[in-house]
Order: sequence, then structure tokens, then C-alpha cells
Amino acid sequence: MIETIIRPEIALDDFLPIFVSSAFVLVFGSLYVGVYTAVKVNMLKKWMMVFAYFFWILTCYMLYIMGSLMHVDAFTAKALVVAMVGYLMLPHAVYYMQHRVHEENEHCDV
Amino acid sequence: MANKSVWSDNRFWQRSATWVTGFASVLLIWLTFDTSAQISMGDDADLKNGVTKRVPGPTVINYKITYEMDAKRGHEVPVIGEKEKFFGRDDYSEEEAGALLHLGKLGSQAKNCMDCHTLLGNGAYYAPDLTKSWLDPAWGPEGSMQSMTGKDTKEEAMAEFLQHPSQYPTHARMMPNLGITAAEAKGLVAFLKHMSSIDTNGFPRNFGKIQGAVHGK
Amino acid sequence: MANNHLTSESKQLATWYFTFAAIIFGAQLLFGLVAAIQYVMPAFLFELVDFSIARIIHINALVVWMVFAMFGSVYWLLPDETGIETVGIKIGKLLFWVFAAAIVVVVLVYLLVQVGPADETTIWFITEGREYIEAPRWADFGIVVVALGFVGNLFLTGMKGKQTGIVTVLMADMIAFAGLYLAGMFFTDNISVDQYWWWWVIHLWVEATWEVFVGAIAAYGLITMIGAHRKTVEMWLWIEVSMLFGSGILGLGHHYFWIGTPEYWWEIGALFSALEPLPLVAMFIHVLYDWGKTQGSQDAKGEQLSVINNKPAFTWFVLNAFGNFLGAGIWGFFHTLPQVNLYTHGTQFTSAHGHLAFFGAYATILIGMFYLGVQGSNGIKVMKNTKLSIWATSMITGGVVGMTVALTIAGYVQVLVSRAQMGATWAAYFDGQSGLWFVQAMDWRLIMGVVTFLGFVLLATDLLRTGKSAVHER
Repeated sequence: MIETIIRPEIALDDFLPIFVSSAFVLVFGSLYVGVYTAVKVNMLKKWMMVFAYFFWILTCYMLYIMGSLMHVDAFTAKALVVAMVGYLMLPHAVYYMQHRVHEENEHCDV
Repeated sequence: MANKSVWSDNRFWQRSATWVTGFASVLLIWLTFDTSAQISMGDDADLKNGVTKRVPGPTVINYKITYEMDAKRGHEVPVIGEKEKFFGRDDYSEEEAGALLHLGKLGSQAKNCMDCHTLLGNGAYYAPDLTKSWLDPAWGPEGSMQSMTGKDTKEEAMAEFLQHPSQYPTHARMMPNLGITAAEAKGLVAFLKHMSSIDTNGFPRNFGKIQGAVHGK
Repeated sequence: MANNHLTSESKQLATWYFTFAAIIFGAQLLFGLVAAIQYVMPAFLFELVDFSIARIIHINALVVWMVFAMFGSVYWLLPDETGIETVGIKIGKLLFWVFAAAIVVVVLVYLLVQVGPADETTIWFITEGREYIEAPRWADFGIVVVALGFVGNLFLTGMKGKQTGIVTVLMADMIAFAGLYLAGMFFTDNISVDQYWWWWVIHLWVEATWEVFVGAIAAYGLITMIGAHRKTVEMWLWIEVSMLFGSGILGLGHHYFWIGTPEYWWEIGALFSALEPLPLVAMFIHVLYDWGKTQGSQDAKGEQLSVINNKPAFTWFVLNAFGNFLGAGIWGFFHTLPQVNLYTHGTQFTSAHGHLAFFGAYATILIGMFYLGVQGSNGIKVMKNTKLSIWATSMITGGVVGMTVALTIAGYVQVLVSRAQMGATWAAYFDGQSGLWFVQAMDWRLIMGVVTFLGFVLLATDLLRTGKSAVHER
């Protein structure tokens, strides 16, 4: 017997939410790192960092909506989870390094 | 600077960038070899022996082409069926069919088709997509174009339209006269028929399946 | 751009490139307007300058003015970065005239000859008929010669003078940029093979090498305009290069979903193009970070002074960081996954994305470079925004964003009516095109196009006049 794959159609009413949620994935995603950066360079107060993580949560939620409306398969779903965890850690890693660069430079050669 | 860490050393990042770029490029080149083999054009023997090629040989114009749902792949694929007459013949040799396709492909570029239409979905969006235009019901026996052009077959109707497009307005947006000769029109139709036989992974979806749509939804 | 303050010949040559680029930019917008009018009134210039011709000039002028402005930007920054005069500048100047003359001939042939018979002579002398790279074969060879000369100048200068990180990135990037053009210089009967290699040129330009170029220019701008720390900037630049090439090269896969290529490109294209917004976010954050840092240390000194020494250019650079993310990032991401792209491929969605991405990612930063050119050639120490610069910036940006929104709505109608419901036939296409929302969207696109064009007129006036204005500190 042949294995039958039926690729699910995207329902007509789902197109708009897909477009909107995928746009918001990036909007919230950039707000997360944006607020994170602004706090790090003292453009915003320390306690505002809460909002950075809040935006990360919204990013995850938007990606979840998008993924479920598009009927992504199990493997892709797992990959998306890994991607979001990676994204959570990304700015931490970047600013750890930036911090080191500044430490090494601004205290010596300037 | 007592403890200079590797992370804050630009040479480390420069090397990383080089490695990442190199790795991605090598992967792309490797995939290109694989893809090139899969999209190379088939030949007449493949068609006669029923070997499925993603891009069939030019003699595919001797056959009937349909676009059907493939249960295994989950989308529509072009299916090459029995012999079908194309401008009154179904025995074009490999050379004849190849020459027609060559003329048609050159014509598609010389007339800037891609700057109004889309081919395989790429181009401009001012006019309909031509990927599966050969299979379009508008040109079929029940469609309007054959009676409009006064021709009995799809290929003759298409060729007539291409030569005198502004005589057969289908929409306020008309196709301009591009000085297409009879020979060029025949080549272009062969090019379109060949393009419809290319396996495009199910693009476009539901082609010609639904005849009416709800407006403004 | 008169220049009595420029001692470097390389910078003089840069201003030539900028000037010619600005003229071609105007031509791009003009023919864009013709095409936009034809959507609303199809009889406009019918069988005189048809949509196809207007569009060829619209998109070719786009590519050409950007390439000119990019070459100009490199000639502009080379003396600053390397500390020496550009090597082979005489040849560079000669090649400028060759290039400019060739472009004028190509455009006149597009406009006056338009199409040719279906044979090789048309491909060689009139048009190659492949979107974006329609330039006939003779011009291809001319472009290769000019590009080689340019890359030669860059390499010789980089190797002789100080080879900074920015120069190193540009050297590697520009050779790839020039080399990729070769992938678009052949004819084949197999349209799948044709489009496979065609995308090597288009995609690997605009989603890889051009983006890296923007990264390098942004790095240069941050150092020259706000005095950002070179080591930090260059570290960011290398990270951006890794991310851009790491995602962009294989992101090419998102063009291989439906052109006859195997199904494995779905997974590759989806994965890597989903990563493509990341470097754009990084580039945006980079500007924010450096700006915050340098302004922060300035503020710490207790002086309420801006660190920016060229307000209009910096405005365009910030718009670039934002526009790149918005146009290339968001507008690219929401139709890049194959499940959705099956329905959006070849609709006005692509057009919406194209407009905002080319503007946001490239036009903005190159206009910023024009202002750096004006500042340098007039010996201005701190350049301020004039009323005209602010109006020009707002109208161009507002106009492009307006066009993008209109085209997005049009694309949405097309996806629902022509694609999801009716399956992309001839009838489906015209049903979608005559939908009320679609028609109105096209009206708005035209209106916003006019706004953009007026903004351009103001921009050109400002670029010509602001150098003499008294508001700047000299």
C-alpha cells in the first residue's frame, strides 16, 4: 500500500492571521533585543528589562500561532522551540562579548 | 590588557566569518551539482520509456499533458499521457522539437515576456502567470479563446493570439503587439507547452480546479 | 556637487558616481510612475511605452543607480580607511565614463528599440529579457570589464595602504559581487536551469553581497559620523558578515521551491530564510548600541552636545537600519515559508516586499552616502538638517511605506481570490485584479508613488543647495 501524504490546505480565513502573526514574530523579536540593548547602554532604566523578556514571550506565542495555522510538522515544531531558546540566549552572549571588548580597549588605549 | 579573551579578538571573528561563508558556499555548490543533475532536460527515449524527468525533453510536445493530484507527494504534478497532435503533428523528431523550443525560449526573452507575465512564478505581476498556461481552461475546448480567435485547437488559438494580441482584448489591460511572426508564435507555444510539463512541486495549487470565486473575500 | 574642498581624487570620483546615481534614481522613479499609471489606466502609452518597457527601465535603473552609488561609496571611503590615495584612480575615472556611456546606450535601446526578433542578435544587442539583468550581452561584457577595474582599484589600494577590517570585508565582498554577475551571462533552452542561475545573480546580490556591503558602509558611517569605537564596530561587522552569509547563501533555497528544482529546497529554503532576519536585527541593534554608547560617554562629560556630525546622513543611516529590518526582514519573512509561499509566490506580495526592501536596505544608506559626499565636498564640519532635507526624507519614506502597504493589500486580495480560491488560471488572475480592494490599492499605490517622486525632487534640490546653506558649522 502506498503511503499517502495529504498536505493540509491553508484555510482561507487563516491567511490573514498567518501574515499578521509572522510579522509580529519579528516585531516582538526585535523589541526583545532592542529593549535589552537599550537597557545595556543605559538608555532605559534597569527594571525595564522585564519588558525585554515579556517581548520574548510574545515572540514565542506569535511563532506558536503561526506554526499551528500553517500546520508545521513535528520536526519543524521542535526546531522552532530550539530556535526560540537560542534566541533567548543570543543577546546575552553578544553583550558578554561586547563587554569584554570595551573592558579591554577603553581602559588601556584610550 | 591582562586577560585578552578569544571572544573579543577580531581575528577570531574574522576567521569565523570566513569559515561560515566557506561552509555555506561549499554546501551550496554541492547542492547545485545535485540539483543540476535533477533538472537537466530529459530526451525522447525517456519519454518513450516512461521515465519521469523533472524537466522533460522537447518532444514532450508530441504528448498530452495534464496536471493531477499525486497522493504520494501531496500536491499536483504534470502527467504525460498519450500522443496528442501539436499543429497537426505528433511525430516531431528530437531535432525539430528542440529547434521549436529553442526558438520559443529565445522569443520569450526577445519579447520581454517576463516583464509583464510571471514564468514559473517569477517576473512581473501585470499579466497572468504562464507556468501552466498551456493547461488553462480558457484555451481549452470549453474556454472562450478558441471561439474568439476562430481556431479549432488550443495551439492555433494561442499562436493567433500571440501574433495579434490587441485584436482580442480579454481585459482592459491588453497585451501589446510585439511583432511576433507566425514561426515565432509556434515556437512560443511549444515553449509554453514544454513549461507546463515541468514538475514545479505543486505550484500553482488547485490550478483550474475551481471556476468561480467569492469576490472581495 | 561642486568640490573645491576635496583634495583626494578618489573622493572627487566618488562625487561623480553619486551625481550620476542620483540622476538614474530619478529615472527609476519616473518610469515607476508610468508603470503605476498603467495599472490604473491601462491605455496610458499603450504600444508606445508598454508596461514591460516602463518596468524594465524602472528595475534596471534601480540596479544601476545602486551599483553606481555603491562604487562611489567605496571610492569615497577608501582614502579615509587606507590613509592613501586610491591606486589607479586615472583608470577608475576613465571606467566611470565608459560605464555611464554604456548605461545611456542600453537605456535608449530599451526605450526606442524595445523588442527584437527571436534570435541571438536580440540577446546580444537589444535585451536578454531576464528580469533585472535584461542588459544585452555586449553590455554584460562591458560591465564585467568595468567591475574588474573597480575591484582592481580596491584591491591594489587595500594592499598598499592600511587594510582595515572594513576594507577587508569590502574586498572580499566586491569580488564576489562582481564574480556572481558571470552566472547570469549565458543562454539555455531549459527555463529551470535558466532561473536556477538567474537567482544566483539576483539573490546572492541582494540578500548576501549587497547586505554585507551595507554592513561595511554602516560600520564606516558609525565611525565617521558619531565617532564609534573602531574595534567594537569591526567586531560587529565580522559577526554580521557571518550571520548574513551564513543565512543568506543557503537562503537562496527560498527561490527554488517552485521552479522545477527538487523538493529538498523546501526545507533548506525555509530554515535559512527564517534565519535571514537575524542579521538584520543585529544590524539594527548595532546602530542603537553604538549610538547609545558614544552619546552616553559624551553625556557623561556633562556637555549637552550631539555626537552626530552629519544629521541628514545619520538620519538616512538610521532609516536604513530600521528599513532593512522592516522591508527585508518582516516583509520578507511573512511569505518566505513554502506552505505560505505556494500561494503568495508571484503576487503583489513580492512587489510590496521588493519596494520596501530595496528602499529600506539600500536606497536609504546610499542617500546617506550622498549627504556625506555633500558634506565633504563643501568642507562642512557639522552638517545639519535643513527644512528641505526633513521634507524630502519624510515624503520619500512615507511614500514608499504607503506604496508598500497598498501593494500588500493588493497582494492579499490576489492570494485569496486568484490563488487560494481559483488556482492561478487566466480567469483567476483577472478576477483577482478586478476586485474592489485590488483596484483601490492600485490607486493608492499611484498616489503614494507621486508622493515619493515629489520627495525625490525635494531631495535632489536639497543635495544641490544644502552645501551652501549657512546652518552648518564649518
